[in-house]
Amino acid sequence: MSAEHAHSDRSAEHLERAFRELLAEKGIISDAAVSERLEFMYTRTPALGARVVARAWFDPGFKERLLEDGSAAVTELGIDIRGLRLVVVENTAVLHNLVVCTLCSCYPRMLLGLPPDWYKSVEYRARAVREPRAVLAEFGLSLPGDVTVRVHDSTADMRYLVLPARPTGTDALGEAQCAELVSRDAMIGVALAGSPSNVL
Amino acid sequence: MSGPHDLGGTKVDAPVPRRQHAILPWEMRVDALMQLLSDPTRPGGPLMSVDELRRGIESLSPELYRSLGYYERWLHSLIVIMSEKGVIERSELENRLADVELAHEREHAERGER
Amino acid sequence: MTPRFHPGEAVRVIDKASAGHVRTPRYIRGKCGVVERICGEFRRPEESAYGRYGGGRERLYRVRFAQHEVWPDYAGPAEDTLDVEIYEHWLEKREAGP
Repeated sequence: MSAEHAHSDRSAEHLERAFRELLAEKGIISDAAVSERLEFMYTRTPALGARVVARAWFDPGFKERLLEDGSAAVTELGIDIRGLRLVVVENTAVLHNLVVCTLCSCYPRMLLGLPPDWYKSVEYRARAVREPRAVLAEFGLSLPGDVTVRVHDSTADMRYLVLPARPTGTDALGEAQCAELVSRDAMIGVALAGSPSNVL
Repeated sequence: MSGPHDLGGTKVDAPVPRRQHAILPWEMRVDALMQLLSDPTRPGGPLMSVDELRRGIESLSPELYRSLGYYERWLHSLIVIMSEKGVIERSELENRLADVELAHEREHAERGER
Repeated sequence: MTPRFHPGEAVRVIDKASAGHVRTPRYIRGKCGVVERICGEFRRPEESAYGRYGGGRERLYRVRFAQHEVWPDYAGPAEDTLDVEIYEHWLEKREAGP
């Protein structure tokens, strides 16, 4: 990190503190409310999304409901999604889905936590809609021409979660073990669900 | 006219950068502040919307948009929106920032640091 | 209010300049696609972005575009598609065509 950037971080940190102190003094936002919200944010990790995916792999009825109405189905699992409007899109042998937000960084944070830096980068946002196959190849995913690529630009109020295909060779695994095969990147669509050799 | 944020399809001849920085506590707090200010369940209603956050970010000049970090853009926007609404005054924020910086320097001096 | 458009219907994104906050990306304006689903009704971003939350709601659609329609130089199979969420006031009817 350059000295300049370090300086900018420091001044941003001071500005954040000044702003937050003023909001607290004015009774707008208490320190306790900030702490409580931070605690909630730390509970949001890709493990939640992975749980949803694994359930869909094991329960065809759930999968059907998940694809029909993502928010309702996820709520069934007791996951607090606070108003998230979720669309789940399914990868198959002939279709691969990829999620981007070209205008900012919309992301299913309630199920995956905060987006990675690359998801927020100018490069990803500019290129994912125009040359998705090249972007996927950079992530190590070279798809053959007979697999259709479908990009989802989350421009407005819906958030997207990719339901990756269940890897082969996982018949002997339980639902929780299968969830461990589901990475954050697989649920954004820049990777496939992992092979069992990665976890066993 | 489209703003500096409207990036879809822009010709960018560079790979997607894969380096991840560890998110800093102040960045998390900016995120939390945004959520709290726009919380629909907030007593008396939300003080702002996500669309306002975006508008504040999009009104940055292209140069500033690219030079600021992600959560710096957010913080800048939150301050713009809260100033517009009269929740805070620019001058009091500037005064407070001076206090914060002074306190920071003092803490460092006490610890014998530069 | 009944939806102006329905799943399967051919639509065009209105190609107009915008001042201020909108959620219709520049690259998709003027492009033709097909309604994939109706997402519901939401606050209009052009209002909400300026602190006006009370106004009417706008219906939101997910519209599917062929990549070759969006990017004439698209380097990929003809089947590749792009889904974008577009509000009703940014859509117009079009005759189904090629």
